Amino acid sequence: MKFKDYYKILGVAQTATIDEIKKAYRKLAHQYHPDVSKDPAGEERFKEIGEAYATLKDKEKRAAYDALGRHPSGEEFRPPPNWAKNQYSDSSASPEYTFDDIDLADLFASFSSGKHQSHQDHIRPIPGQDYELATQISLEDAHHGITLDLNFTVPEYDTQSQLKQVPHNFKARIPKGVTHGQKMLLRGKGGNGFHGAPDGNLYLNINFIPHRLFRVTDHDLFIDLPLAPWEAALGATVKVPTLEGAVNLKVPAGARSGQKLRIGKRGMPKQNQEHGDLFAVIQIVIPTDLSHQERELFKELADTSTFNPRVHFN
Amino acid sequence: MTLNQTELIWLDEHHEVTLQELIALSGLSQAELVLLVENGALVPNNANTSDLRLDAWQFSSQCLVSIRTLSRLKHDFELEPNALSLTLVFLERIRTLEFQLHHLEHTKT
Repeated sequence: MKFKDYYKILGVAQTATIDEIKKAYRKLAHQYHPDVSKDPAGEERFKEIGEAYATLKDKEKRAAYDALGRHPSGEEFRPPPNWAKNQYSDSSASPEYTFDDIDLADLFASFSSGKHQSHQDHIRPIPGQDYELATQISLEDAHHGITLDLNFTVPEYDTQSQLKQVPHNFKARIPKGVTHGQKMLLRGKGGNGFHGAPDGNLYLNINFIPHRLFRVTDHDLFIDLPLAPWEAALGATVKVPTLEGAVNLKVPAGARSGQKLRIGKRGMPKQNQEHGDLFAVIQIVIPTDLSHQERELFKELADTSTFNPRVHFN
Repeated sequence: MTLNQTELIWLDEHHEVTLQELIALSGLSQAELVLLVENGALVPNNANTSDLRLDAWQFSSQCLVSIRTLSRLKHDFELEPNALSLTLVFLERIRTLEFQLHHLEHTKT
């Protein structure tokens, strides 16, 4: 397993008092806590900070951590012989405890999991750990519903009381009607509970993969609808893609850029079987490469027209 | 390896949870949740009915998202019980504002 220098992570000396450790943690937590900071790297950083604090604030865990000795950060190391025997009161922890397949965070988290605690803690029911999982689905899948194969690993004890990364695999049906940012709960799909306590839960955060044509807000969809100047001026019937195939949309004469045309019930499905709407947002597009004839026609229009788009300047 | 299909529970305004479910799922104690209700930071869906028993309370399952965030903040920042209500009010306000911002960004002309 890789060594992590918890003192360095919190920016304190190895001789730091509990107050100094707490103060350093709070300062860093304000900076990196994922519910406070919008720094995308903050979550990973806060995991380290929280892990370091959880170990160093606890007298017994800190002593056990110090007993591991000092190593450069990131260096592969093994705890000294008999370390497990000395730290765990559980007689099942043999000196040959292998520490394979776990990291330092799992190791110290196990101190509070009830697996290797005092006799009283041994019989105390301890609920399983909750986990969060983020998943991205396409707009098409959200529209039709999709069965997801969820695969992730969590640290759990095996029959030899050793922590291992255990794969969890199951299917979950995401029904029609989910929205971007929808949170869902899978009861009992988190970590194992101990001594009769319930298993933890899995929280699923569903986000949509950005679509090349559609933007989504709640159950409504938005699509940019490019129009040629003459289509906007004269009106036109144009084909507009939807998630259920293209539809013909009648654009009225005199359409303006930014104007939204509503196509009813062509948005995302709702839980109550209704649908949101699709809004086509008009964008008037000017041809950049004019043929000779087009240029002449535009010139003729310029000479003929009395239209002044800047009349409000006067 | 067996792949079991699992039922998902929606966390949104259309689905409800009881106080006992909220305790089991949120990481907050009954006393803390009752204090949130007493302070007006958390409102049961059936707050206006005459049945005031705690086991009759029903909450929108959507509130679980903010309450779990609150529970994390309480744990990670060692928040005092009296700070919880204020924090929940701000979390809900941020959630509402973020939704409005998202809506404006996607519908702006």
